[in-house]
Amino acid sequence: MALLECRGLTRFFGGLKAVGNLTFEVAEGEILGLIGPNGAGKTTVFNLVTGFVRPSKGQVRLDGRSIVGLRPNAVARSGVARTFQIVKPFPGLSARENVTLAAFLRHRARSDAERAADEVLERLGLTHRATTLASQLTLMDQKRLEMAKALATAPRVLLLDEPMGGLNPSEVDVAAGIVESIRRSGVTVVLVEHVMKAIMRISDRVVVMHHGEKIAEGSPASVVQDPQVIAAYFGTRAA
Amino acid sequence: METFAQSLVSGLLMGSLYAMIGIGLTIIFGVMRIINLAHGEMVMLGMFAAFFSQKLLGIDPFLSVLLLTPAMFVLGVAIYWLLLRKIIPGGELNTLLYTAGMSLLVANVALLAWSGDYRTISLSYGLAPMRPLGIAIPAALAIAFAMAAAITVALWLFLSSTDTGRAIRATSQNREAAILMGIDVERVALFTFGLGTALAGAAGALLAPSLYLYPTVGELLVVKSFVIVVLGGLGSVPGAIAGGLLLGVVESLGAVYVSATYKDGLGYVLFLLVLLYRPTGLFGVGKS
Amino acid sequence: MGWVGGAVAVAVLPILVRNTFFLHVAILVFMWTVLGAAWNVLGGFAGQVSFGHAALFGIGAYTTIILFLKGGLAPWWGIPLGGLVAALASVPIGLICFRLRGPYFSLATLAVAELAKLAALNWEWVTNGPIGFLITTLPSLTVLGRRVDWEAKTPFYVIAALLMAFAILSTAWLRQSRLGAYLVAIREDEDAAEAIGIDTVRAKVVTLGLSAFLAGLGGGFYAFYFRYVDPDAVLNIGLSMEMVFIAMVGGLGTVVGPLIGAIFLTTVGEAVREHFQVGHLIFYGLFMMIVIRFLPEGIWGKVRSVLPGMRAVRHGAP
Repeated sequence: MALLECRGLTRFFGGLKAVGNLTFEVAEGEILGLIGPNGAGKTTVFNLVTGFVRPSKGQVRLDGRSIVGLRPNAVARSGVARTFQIVKPFPGLSARENVTLAAFLRHRARSDAERAADEVLERLGLTHRATTLASQLTLMDQKRLEMAKALATAPRVLLLDEPMGGLNPSEVDVAAGIVESIRRSGVTVVLVEHVMKAIMRISDRVVVMHHGEKIAEGSPASVVQDPQVIAAYFGTRAA
Repeated sequence: METFAQSLVSGLLMGSLYAMIGIGLTIIFGVMRIINLAHGEMVMLGMFAAFFSQKLLGIDPFLSVLLLTPAMFVLGVAIYWLLLRKIIPGGELNTLLYTAGMSLLVANVALLAWSGDYRTISLSYGLAPMRPLGIAIPAALAIAFAMAAAITVALWLFLSSTDTGRAIRATSQNREAAILMGIDVERVALFTFGLGTALAGAAGALLAPSLYLYPTVGELLVVKSFVIVVLGGLGSVPGAIAGGLLLGVVESLGAVYVSATYKDGLGYVLFLLVLLYRPTGLFGVGKS
Repeated sequence: MGWVGGAVAVAVLPILVRNTFFLHVAILVFMWTVLGAAWNVLGGFAGQVSFGHAALFGIGAYTTIILFLKGGLAPWWGIPLGGLVAALASVPIGLICFRLRGPYFSLATLAVAELAKLAALNWEWVTNGPIGFLITTLPSLTVLGRRVDWEAKTPFYVIAALLMAFAILSTAWLRQSRLGAYLVAIREDEDAAEAIGIDTVRAKVVTLGLSAFLAGLGGGFYAFYFRYVDPDAVLNIGLSMEMVFIAMVGGLGTVVGPLIGAIFLTTVGEAVREHFQVGHLIFYGLFMMIVIRFLPEGIWGKVRSVLPGMRAVRHGAP
């Protein structure tokens, strides 16, 4: 059975169908890439799965149990964490405080939470920046912090929303390495990304969306050659 | 049936004045995202200005509107330029609390200066109600309605046809885009605050012959104004008009058919319901 | 260290000072500290600006006075019960209002407070309507073997001081607790807080409950000290604003701020009242404007940032 499953997921905003009848599964331990042109509905899918937006129709299941209708904090508690496309740190707090807050979900005592937070900071290479205010971190470090906060909640599935946006090529490589190490630690990853190099390199499978619907699914190599996918990105003449 | 028509008409007449107050508040919110808790005091100042201009200068309150409106505009511009401009960068909360402080200050200075006694304006021609179609309409309210309507039409023409008016609407819809289009949003804000204050003062002067005047009336009015602008959608002028008329009618009908004492409560309950279920206003045109 | 000194000073004051006016001012300062702390818990720590806190104060006042007049309940039972009833009432209020954010929330609290006042004016079978309640004789009680002399200021001073201590201690507890940390997160970014598993609604409701409890305590005390409760006295919007001002002037989100704010505003207010009879609210409004313009972190916030060695330590210093 898949760890995370979306079935017939649909969301209307007024007359606009942002996500339509989307069905896909994520197996435990895999890295699933979610790609598509801008406006395809990828972030909306994340919002639907994590409870920030309610689906108009459809189901979302984690380990077979429905998580539709739960508020975001309940979704996080059940084991699905996310990052935001535009990072949302707690700007006035230090990196360590940011992550400690997330660690409180699994550790009641402050000292335990701080210890867990320090471990996550170390895994993501932020130890030397632990006392820096989040608002003063570089973009790359803010992205690390964003992932650190999500990881501190000890999720089973981590949804990453364009973690490489705004990074230069060498930073992209580092970020890709971080995502792979996250998977090695036992966390299943769903990755929305535009940076094709990264998606190709680290995804086990890819789902392609266009106008809110799934138009292709498969290995990175096969999806890239799918005529519908090419048409979606480059127009029908290129396909 | 006659009672229904009567209270409906009263409600609409009163509502037109509520609408004017609401328009002032909503344009200020639309352009500057400020919730001006001192707005009620601006109405109060207009009321007392009309009162004193009649008492001391013998000027009819409806005529005093002509002088009062530009004066209140200047006052609004002064308040924005001298006071609010420095506060706004500090954030929504600070600005909100600042206007709360202003409201307290103005209301209590007025209380000190003019005492809390209830006052009324009596008009030589205001005694006999007009009776079109058998519905009694107090003359003062009818004149107020006519002037409010005229002012609202003038305002609408201003907003839709003049450059400044369009700049105001643009800034209200999308501040960043307005800046990119070369609109001086600070000047627009300054102008809008003056305009909103002028509308409040004018509404006060028009209301003065029909209500009891006392320095702390602003407290009651500001809550009503917020009910109106939320009902109509924050930032929407047509919404404020509709909201004002609606509130006037709800209060009027409520006083007759539900209870005189609870009529204010109806407004608040409606307000809470709209905030919870239709925060963009009954017509869905408000900003969030 | 400072705490011990302060506590000793407060304890010793009524022995040294016999001037009843001075003691009266001290009692008011203590009461307003409790009320300022109540607002500060919700407004300063949770970042939710309420303009309707008078409703919670009023519920406390009415509960305490009714329990005394109808049930003979002494102040040390009545006042905490006033707090408790206010806390319970705050749950439905919170569940309604917390669905809104920012200025919408503030406006909703305004509406709720006005509705509370209307209810008090009209539900005469509960609240006696506009007439309100009057305590003519306070109970004959003995504490530690001595008859309580309600005509003197001392018993009220003691009760008020204890309530203030409770308010300050609760605020200090909140500050270093997990809930307090969650509130900081919610203030910084509510969505991000949700995303890391913080139940923002529950945090806000619990915080409101504490805030309401403190406000209700203040109301209960008011009932016994001023002995008269009616809708105008305990449910008016001016009271809500005064609570905001005290917290704001003293320093939002600090533990000591409400005390500083209460000292400042009460002493100025009473001085004005002595000399001018009316107009103390003018100063409240004026100071509010001055503080926001020049001292947005409040008096205590400014002191803390200026004095070396007192710079804010997030999980610790007052």
